[in-house]
Amino acid sequence: MSDVFWVDLARMSFDNSVSHKLRRLVAEAGVATGLSAGMRVALKVNTSEDGYDYGLRPGLVRTLASAVEEATSKRPTICDGLKLVDYWNRTKGHSFLHVARSKGYANDTLGGSFVINGGFSGDEGNLYSCGRTDSALGGVEVGAAVCRSDALWVFSHVTLHPLFGLAGALWNGGFECLIGRERTRVLDGVDAYAFNGSTPPAETLLRVRRRALESHLGVRAAVEGRVVYVSALWDVTPQPEYFPFSESPVVQNLGFLASRDPVALDAATLAILEESSGQARERAREFHDVLLAAESLGLGSARPNIQRLS
Amino acid sequence: MPEYKYEPTKWHDMAKPVEGGKATYQKKSWNPTKKKWGPFTQKGAAPVWFAEANATNWTESMICKAKDLFYESKMNECFDKNDEVAIKIHYGEYNRTAILRPEYIAAIVEEVKACGGHPYVVNDTTLSYHLYNNMATSQYQQEGAIRHGYTDATFGCPVIIADGYAGEDDYRVEIPEGNILKETYIGRAVAEADSMIVIGHSRGHSITMYGGVLKQLGIGCQSKRGKYITHLAHWGDPHDSIGWPKFTDKCPGTACKFHQMCDDSCPHEAHKVMAHGKEWYPERCRLCYSCQVTCLFSGMTGITFEDVYFPNAMIAHADAALGALKCFERGKVGFMNCAIDVVPECDCFPWAGKAVCPDIGIFASKDLIAIEEATLDAIDNAPIMPGSVAEEKDLKVGEDKFRAINGFSPRIITRSGEKIGLGTREYKLTNYEPVLTPENVAKWQIRPNKPTTVRLRDVFAKHDLTTEVMPFDRTGYNKDWVWNEWKKFDPYKGDKRA
Repeated sequence: MSDVFWVDLARMSFDNSVSHKLRRLVAEAGVATGLSAGMRVALKVNTSEDGYDYGLRPGLVRTLASAVEEATSKRPTICDGLKLVDYWNRTKGHSFLHVARSKGYANDTLGGSFVINGGFSGDEGNLYSCGRTDSALGGVEVGAAVCRSDALWVFSHVTLHPLFGLAGALWNGGFECLIGRERTRVLDGVDAYAFNGSTPPAETLLRVRRRALESHLGVRAAVEGRVVYVSALWDVTPQPEYFPFSESPVVQNLGFLASRDPVALDAATLAILEESSGQARERAREFHDVLLAAESLGLGSARPNIQRLS
Repeated sequence: MPEYKYEPTKWHDMAKPVEGGKATYQKKSWNPTKKKWGPFTQKGAAPVWFAEANATNWTESMICKAKDLFYESKMNECFDKNDEVAIKIHYGEYNRTAILRPEYIAAIVEEVKACGGHPYVVNDTTLSYHLYNNMATSQYQQEGAIRHGYTDATFGCPVIIADGYAGEDDYRVEIPEGNILKETYIGRAVAEADSMIVIGHSRGHSITMYGGVLKQLGIGCQSKRGKYITHLAHWGDPHDSIGWPKFTDKCPGTACKFHQMCDDSCPHEAHKVMAHGKEWYPERCRLCYSCQVTCLFSGMTGITFEDVYFPNAMIAHADAALGALKCFERGKVGFMNCAIDVVPECDCFPWAGKAVCPDIGIFASKDLIAIEEATLDAIDNAPIMPGSVAEEKDLKVGEDKFRAINGFSPRIITRSGEKIGLGTREYKLTNYEPVLTPENVAKWQIRPNKPTTVRLRDVFAKHDLTTEVMPFDRTGYNKDWVWNEWKKFDPYKGDKRA
């Protein structure tokens, strides 16, 4: 079992606001443990596509960026990669930054240096082994902003996901840290807009999920295991950020979770969501299998020990 | 000067040239050379426009004149509607003050947008150059750019590092035409743009003697490996010190108070200090200049440049500029030189010397060589700035300023550049002077269609804030005091100079 800390949104007050709660989570979950002055931390976030309006709020990112700066005396590198599946076909760096800026993602709002993980083309990175002889991918190319850092904080906006079941720590800290051409390899021709009417065959889905999980092993190797995960159960929409729209969130906002174990974190996320939302229960049911597969790959434990900070 | 003891540099000679994965890399790379690339001027003299650095009314503001030159030189025809337009500038080193003022860049961005283009401002990462470099990684360069006022908010468009987080996001470009280089590597945000407007800060340069728009292409558009090849890293024999720093056997070792800085200066640990000299592994060196800059600018003489290095590096950087130009169709690149704060050294220096001449003005052209020739001629013909290095060297108006200041003539670049097809040295200069008319006064103002005064009528109609507190509390009006009493505060007793 792995510890997962959950701060819910109960009992709001002037000294217990959302950002207070997030800061408390960082402190009590020991998110900054292991960091020291001068370390370079990459804070991987989810920016969103033009038209998707439920993305992570810049103020929440800034709270984590401030926590990094307090621990290291350095502003973090805040990053996200170019979206492989780009609905509007604007895959170049300046289009990405243009859209990100329109959502309030800029250096001065986020409190760190906001860069593209993978550079202007999205393809700048290094190759890391997945560390398993039975790996389908063998190794993955991890974006430069992530792999050139001393530690990685993965701040995920939890949503449902048409291919993976649930986008959280496993997805954001794995597939999403890869460079563009590597993501193409993971998806291997699968239509990423499965909610638009087509769902890939079960066999194909299993293959994609397995590869996405393997990519997480490569990312972890890139930062020598110095990864911590924070997830926002905030505007949990049916569509993930790369969609050019979203339907309404499937559940009310439930707070934030943190752990060093991405499997446990996503398992806890799923449990909390299932308890609160029939739609989440229905649409993310296959994610239980993803969690078991992740556990079998050694990514963590699918049995979370949830510690609720109310 | 202290008495130093010197030992010869301890060389660890290379067994053979360094060989990496070049063959494999090149197979995978994409060469973006455009089919219709070529110098803008096909025949005769190239038109160059110039606006003087002076102003006495609204229309003569340097920002307004920069916008006028954009259209006079037909830079608006460098791109089509909906083109992605790279605006190439130098982001400037940390603690550097002599850099392009953000307003010039914002002005051009505004006009690119007004003409239907999608601009983004770019610069590549640099090599280390010196110990505390601010531009070698994307993150550091962004922090420095923000400090200089180069932000999305000031420009109104994305501000991008062209070659990625670490400087490896690039394309290889073949340049068989090159005098020295036969290939180079261009940052992707430059190579993938549909067109480019290059805004150069005209000033001196320690390696290329002078830097303007050509320098922006020859080094500024090069990714990290593009810069290494252009620096001539690993060219020839290490003992010739062309592709490597020159170790002079005049290093006092640990007796030098800067020896730790010197050891720390190399990102590859290619040299180490000994008791009375240096230990040197040329195989590890990539010629980033860090050790040379550290030694030379701390006043020491242990690591330096071979004199003949400079002209060769100048020719190589013209070759590299061609690599950048070949990423665009002919006529898709426009150039603007700001001969303002014409200091002796490059914007990649973390300090700025005194300008060698008064501000000159702005040049615009579509011909890369012609604009550089015109700018250099104007700088040479400008007065000598008192107190500057130009005065120290007793320069006369009309002399080749940067040759006298930095060692070689910058015309080596324009001549070698002309030979490989970068442009023509023959230019026809048009002196642009805006006409003072109500339309021209309004043209580049914050609200051209509605004067601020007219807008304020609406504001004051709602709330006349001044009337509200009238009469103001002041001493009683005394005509004699107003006409005479103030003279007691004037050291010239009220004598107004004619």
